[in-house]
Amino acid sequence: MDFDLEELVHVEQTFYDEGYRDGYAHGRIHGLIEGRALGREKGFEMWEELGFYEGFALMWAAILEKQGRRDDRAASNIRHLLDLIAQFPKFNPSAAEPSELDIPKLFRQIRSRYKALCATLGVRPTLRAGGAAGSPDGDEDPAHSPIEDASTDSTTVWKIDNKPRARGNNDLSF
Amino acid sequence: MDLDDSPWGENVKSVQDSEWSKLSSDFVNAGYREGITAGKEGALQEGFDEGFAQTGAPLGRNLGMLRGFSSALASFLASTSAQEHTERDQLLNEARTISSALSDVRFSDIDPPDTQAMEHAKEHMEDAEDVVASEELQEKRDMESLEDLMDRMGATPSAKQANRPTPEDVAQLEQRLHTLAQTLGLTLPSR
Repeated sequence: MDFDLEELVHVEQTFYDEGYRDGYAHGRIHGLIEGRALGREKGFEMWEELGFYEGFALMWAAILEKQGRRDDRAASNIRHLLDLIAQFPKFNPSAAEPSELDIPKLFRQIRSRYKALCATLGVRPTLRAGGAAGSPDGDEDPAHSPIEDASTDSTTVWKIDNKPRARGNNDLSF
Repeated sequence: MDLDDSPWGENVKSVQDSEWSKLSSDFVNAGYREGITAGKEGALQEGFDEGFAQTGAPLGRNLGMLRGFSSALASFLASTSAQEHTERDQLLNEARTISSALSDVRFSDIDPPDTQAMEHAKEHMEDAEDVVASEELQEKRDMESLEDLMDRMGATPSAKQANRPTPEDVAQLEQRLHTLAQTLGLTLPSR
C-alpha cells in the first residue's frame, strides 16, 4: 500500500478537528451545567446568610422606629451592617475586572457587626442553620469561618476549584 | 447478502475500507475527547457566574431576609416584657414556628430546575453519570439524605419528616410573617 504521507497527515488532522469541534460543543454544555449548579449553590449559600443579617437589621430598624426608641448605638450598628452588606457583590465579578474586594474579610466584618448589633439590642445572636452557617455566637476564630475553605480564599474572584470542599463537622453540628 | 463478505474472498477494497474507517474514527474520537475537556473547562466559569447571579444569590437573599425578619420579630417579642401582652406568648410562638420552618428550607427544596441540564440528560440517558452535576454537589445531596435518615431515626418522629418544604410553603410562611408583623403594627421591610 502506498500513500502520500503528507496527505495522510492532513487527513488525520481533518478527522481530529472534526471530532474536536463536536466534542467542544458537547463539553461546553457540560461545563455550563456543572458551573451553573456550583454557582447557584454558592450564591445561595452566601446570600442566604447575608440576607439573614440584612433582614434582621431592617426589621429591627422598623421596630425601633415604631417604638420611637432613640437608640443611637443600635441605629449606628444597623447602618454599618447594611452598609457592609451593600458592598457584597450579588454577581460574581469576573476575572475581567479584578476588584480589591476581600470577600472573607468582608464576611468577618459583617458577622461581627451583626453580633455587635445583637449585643446593643440585648438579643442573643441566632445560630443559623443552612449551608454557610457561620456560628455567629462565640466562634471568634476567623480561621474557622466556613467561608474560608470555600472557593473564595485569597482571590477576589470566585474561581471554580475542583478540590473537594473540606466538609467537616460543619453540617452536622446542629 | 453480499458475496464480498466471504472471509475467503481476498477483497482488498473492503480491507482498505475498514482500515480507513478505523483510522478516521480513531482520530475523530481522539479529537472529541480533547474537545470535550476543553469545551467544559472553557464554560465552567461562565456557568458559575450565571448560576450565582441569576439564581443562587437572589433566591438565597430572599429566603435569608425572611429568616432575618422572623428572627428579629422573635427576638423583639422575647425581649419585650414591658407591656404585658396576653397574646405575646402566642405571637412569640408564631414567630418561632415560622423561624424554624424557614430554617428547614434548603436550596434543593426551592431551586428552579436547570432546563438545559434536564434536556441534555434526556439526550443521553445511557450515561447515568450525566444526571449528577458534580461530585461536590452529590456529596452534599448525600449528606442531606443522611440528615433526613437521622431525622427519621430520632426519638421524636415529627410531622415534617414526610415531605420537604416547597416554594409554596415558603410563600405561605412569608404570608404568615406579614400577618404577624401587621399584628404588631409593623410592615415587613421591602426587599
